[in-house]
Amino acid sequence: MRTVLLGPQRFMTTAGTALRSLGVDGPVATINAGWEEREDVVDELDTVLGGDTRHLRLYHRSLDVITKDEAFGSAALAFRDRHDALLSLYRLRLQNAMDGVYAVQRRTREGEGRVRGEATAHAALDDSIEVVRHIDQWYAAQLKGLYADLEGAAPIDSSGVIGWHRGELADLLGQSAAVVLTGGHVGTLLRTLRLFAITIPDDVPVIAWSAGAMALTERVVLFHDHGPEGNTEAEVFDRGLGRVQGIVALPHARRRLRLDDRDRCAVMARRFTDQHCVLLDDGTALELTADGGLPRGARILGIDGAVHELGTNGRGGVS
Amino acid sequence: MSEGRLAVNRLRERLPVDDAVLDRFVARHGAPIIEGERATFLFRGEADEVRVRHRVVGLPDPLSMKRLPDTDLWAVTTVLPNGSRVEYQLETRYGDRYETFNDPLNPRVAHSPMGSSSVCAATGYEVPDWVHHDPEARPGELVEDTFRSKALRREQPVKLYLPARYNPSLRYPLLVVHDGDDYLNYAAMKTVLDNLIHRLDVAPLIAAFVPPRDRLREYPNHAPHARFIARELLPTLAERLPLVDDPEARCLMGSSFGGIASLSTAVRYPGVFGSLFLQSASLVFTDIGTDHGGGPAFDPVVKFVNRYRAKPTAPVERLFMSCGTYEPLITPNRSMVPVFRGAGMTVKYVEARDGHNWEDWRDRLRDGLSWLFPGPQKFVYE
Repeated sequence: MRTVLLGPQRFMTTAGTALRSLGVDGPVATINAGWEEREDVVDELDTVLGGDTRHLRLYHRSLDVITKDEAFGSAALAFRDRHDALLSLYRLRLQNAMDGVYAVQRRTREGEGRVRGEATAHAALDDSIEVVRHIDQWYAAQLKGLYADLEGAAPIDSSGVIGWHRGELADLLGQSAAVVLTGGHVGTLLRTLRLFAITIPDDVPVIAWSAGAMALTERVVLFHDHGPEGNTEAEVFDRGLGRVQGIVALPHARRRLRLDDRDRCAVMARRFTDQHCVLLDDGTALELTADGGLPRGARILGIDGAVHELGTNGRGGVS
Repeated sequence: MSEGRLAVNRLRERLPVDDAVLDRFVARHGAPIIEGERATFLFRGEADEVRVRHRVVGLPDPLSMKRLPDTDLWAVTTVLPNGSRVEYQLETRYGDRYETFNDPLNPRVAHSPMGSSSVCAATGYEVPDWVHHDPEARPGELVEDTFRSKALRREQPVKLYLPARYNPSLRYPLLVVHDGDDYLNYAAMKTVLDNLIHRLDVAPLIAAFVPPRDRLREYPNHAPHARFIARELLPTLAERLPLVDDPEARCLMGSSFGGIASLSTAVRYPGVFGSLFLQSASLVFTDIGTDHGGGPAFDPVVKFVNRYRAKPTAPVERLFMSCGTYEPLITPNRSMVPVFRGAGMTVKYVEARDGHNWEDWRDRLRDGLSWLFPGPQKFVYE
């Protein structure tokens, strides 16, 4: 299984080089639903990828489904309302829990060097982060329930329109020697991947960047420390395709994260401690190892809040 | 060395000077002259007295200018902290005749329903780039509509903003804007919405811009107005437009008396709206007695705010407040923040070194709108 994760392509285009390095012989399927209504503006993408492309047009297909399948359209709308309501509650709980983490973290810092209570403070920090993980898990479980309700209200497998698109997509994917997933709106991308039950065979090489890279992971985490509404916390959004495991993909990390705030970064790394928080900035090109691991040189957030480069043994070393 | 000394003081040391020197001085420095945290206002002409009228709380108002000996140049220097923005006019007196006008040496003016004023912008103040037309931002649409209101006993015009790429099969949050025409005309709110939605700072939303007819009567806690907004406008819009059917997705907005209209409507119809956006709201109150100093127009405001303070409630979940630090309403606004929080609302409060004017309210739109209706920036990774 060959998978390459790239940094954003807007200022440093490396997708063509990555594709050539894979020695792909045959058409390339592209998934750029994250571009939404710009999905068909693909001249530049075609040029970068060499021209032999099969655009899957998942976004436009999803509009076709909503237009033609009324039952699914109304169920999808109801799902979106319920998902928005769930997200609102999740964010409320998350913000309060994260405020608690930072408060305990400050206390822990203040207590450093003092013997009394230091161990308790660290235990309190661990436990407060565990509370955040619990809220993440609660949200994921609720979302799973919403998907089950959607499936119950409008069974996707019984939709003729969706079935037709799925058949055509399976043909297109079957003809493709590689798949490329671009950036864009990760919510739209995930929604369309799910709608059309896109699965990419293990033996088909994949190149993905930004939102596309996030969509390949098991768990998609949204983040933006510099949003105009102030510091909002990273939030678990949805499951991805799961082709890439053990990774939280962080595209545009330098632009979107306050990497100089080590306390904040440390909390993020500890919150997702069972996975590597991988920075995918401009120029990054990571071909995963044969067993799906991160290659040497991958930049990750350490639990100390610093950015580390993975060494040969797959462990972080100070960069 | 001239560094560190004010330009007008350097000029004083050169006196007497002829008109040509004064012409060059004004042409070179413009007016007002901003030097560090000091602003020097200038006027040229014959008068018995020249003063700067500014309404900045904390500074003498008016500020009397002094004539430079044997010249027609008048000047006064005042402190002006970084980031400040002040609207002002000049006032001259000839005998017992007074005239008030915009600063003829300063081309920068701001507009409002009351006319225009000159603008003095300190070091560090910049007009946000998102208030200007952005050719890359796809424009939304303004649709003029009229609603028959039983509560108000009249036809009520409303301008509806539909965002770019408006799609009736989607659902949108709703923002109801008091003084709707003024927000459009003097706070560039359509351009601001177009830009902030384009930049993903703000979620695509539908806005209803509602102008008042008799503002001083309808805005300070007026039952028919509240009934029109909550029981007539809202249900009609929900019928006609694809709105998210949830209080959280409904916000009332207004400035000054419009802030009181927003708050009092929410208090009369708790739970109907999820959030409020109050800008320099006229939250005047008294702790004892009835002497509030605001004149008869403020009587119903004070009555309402006093009653609210006696028994605070949380008619909405979230409240965004902004206020200028140079306006008289800064103290009441600051005082109300803990009251609102204590009632159980989540409050975000911001201040700016500005006054009670439309450009201050315009400049705070991104803070408020992006907090109340966060855009999909977190979802987009190009």
